[in-house]
Amino acid sequence: MPQKGGATPPSTRFRRTDADGGLRICIVFVVLSLVMFTASVREGDGPGVFTTARGAWMTITMPIRWVGGAVTAPFQGLGNIFANLTADQERLSELKAENERLVARNAELEESEQTARRLESLLGLQSLYNLQSTGARIISGSTDSWSSTVTIDKGTSAGLAVGMPVTDSNGAIGQIIRCGAASSTVRLITDENSAVSAMVQSSRAQGVLRGSVDGTLRLSLVRTDQNVEVGDTIVTSGLGGVFPKGLPLGTVISVERTSGALYYDIEVEPLSSTESFEEVLVITSLTEDQKPTAEEVAQADQQDSAAGSGAKDESASESGEGDDEQPDGTSSDDGSDADDEAAADDQGQG
Amino acid sequence: MQIKDSNRNRRDFLVLAAICLVLQVAVAPNIALGNGRANFGLVFAGVASLLVGGQLGVFCGFLAGLVFDLSTTGPIGLMAFLLTVGSYIVGIEARNRIADDFAGSMRLFAWMALIVSLAYHVAMFLVGEATSIVDVVLLRTLPTSALTLLGFAPFAYVISHATGSALSLGGKPSKSARSHGSRYDLGNL
Repeated sequence: MPQKGGATPPSTRFRRTDADGGLRICIVFVVLSLVMFTASVREGDGPGVFTTARGAWMTITMPIRWVGGAVTAPFQGLGNIFANLTADQERLSELKAENERLVARNAELEESEQTARRLESLLGLQSLYNLQSTGARIISGSTDSWSSTVTIDKGTSAGLAVGMPVTDSNGAIGQIIRCGAASSTVRLITDENSAVSAMVQSSRAQGVLRGSVDGTLRLSLVRTDQNVEVGDTIVTSGLGGVFPKGLPLGTVISVERTSGALYYDIEVEPLSSTESFEEVLVITSLTEDQKPTAEEVAQADQQDSAAGSGAKDESASESGEGDDEQPDGTSSDDGSDADDEAAADDQGQG
Repeated sequence: MQIKDSNRNRRDFLVLAAICLVLQVAVAPNIALGNGRANFGLVFAGVASLLVGGQLGVFCGFLAGLVFDLSTTGPIGLMAFLLTVGSYIVGIEARNRIADDFAGSMRLFAWMALIVSLAYHVAMFLVGEATSIVDVVLLRTLPTSALTLLGFAPFAYVISHATGSALSLGGKPSKSARSHGSRYDLGNL
């Protein structure tokens, strides 16, 4: 039997069927991969061969995803039960009866209870905000480590489309970025590339809420002369034209003001946590009262015009550079309007 | 003497591919370590290149990468490219390595997982998907590599401890394999 080479271990019993060790086929596939990569990057998220192929693949693999979500769902429930059990042990001496009752609970009942609660909350949210929406269920999380996305079990056949906002019972969770026939991919607001036009509920200060790699949210473009405090609720401003106005997004957990900075550095804790088989609402269209009023748009314009001119002055005095670098890393020629940027960001997610 | 059992070997390889596909699509999204998620495409490519190498290893690497790309939101072709190159390099002199040297296979695959994950995430960083290279390395590459290595270990263990069967992914050992004492007889796959 011919051996493959001097370095081969003696016990190896393979014959070389390819004299070049696969070099030729490797070159072919490398070229093919690079061509696909280039074409895919050029195509982006717009319609094209790769988008269609990905949509078809999502549809084909949806049953497997669904089964995977169903199989792992009880483990998430077990995690909740473990937390409950731990809490019970701490209070065992004073709450014996309650402890016994909690221990008797099983995972199925716990999950059913939580599901019912989520559905009730969703219905409450739908009616509170008068949302025109379609219910869906998360069937899978992100497949790669790069993006924070979830897959839901409804697609174009249910009337969904790219760009539609998605909420759970606590508030907005993200926006659809890909839509197959029977499933859709939702980019979560915690994704590093996500940006949602938002405002502080109490002071109405406008800004842009961005995701980050560590899962927290950062509210940028809020001027330091405005009032923001820890514990404030952040809601959607509706300026992007994608999310309805007033949906809760998170709670401020830290506000930092760097000396000489035009904007606060605000860290926000998201309200929602997405788990498989949780129910969500996809908002299919906005009513007039969910869009920002002309007054709010003018206010946002005014806010960022002032900040833009301030940035210009500061930029000129410190470095003499022409364009003003925004704190969130974006730059613009004229100290862009917050609402314009927010609109671009919101739309950009799609 | 080389005994061929091509049909059985192909079937076993298809079973391996199917298992990895199901794990990638159904399990990987639901199990995360920080921002990292196991890449079972990489696991499949690693097993293929460490067991067979050559043309088949490269082909499996490309296919696994393509499936991974289709399952994610990233650009299509990037993981296919990395797994093609990775499978070729690992497969050059590593055929049947899992059977012969389990610990060495684990080490080799750990390097493969680390380098492929790092290259993938750095490439994504270069196309503007992230702002911090530190985050890319610490919060994405390392957890992904660790989980992928964890996903590879059971496969490597089963294969290295299996006797009398081709890939030993189930079923009885073939007569030819038993009579000639061959543990891994992928022959002309």
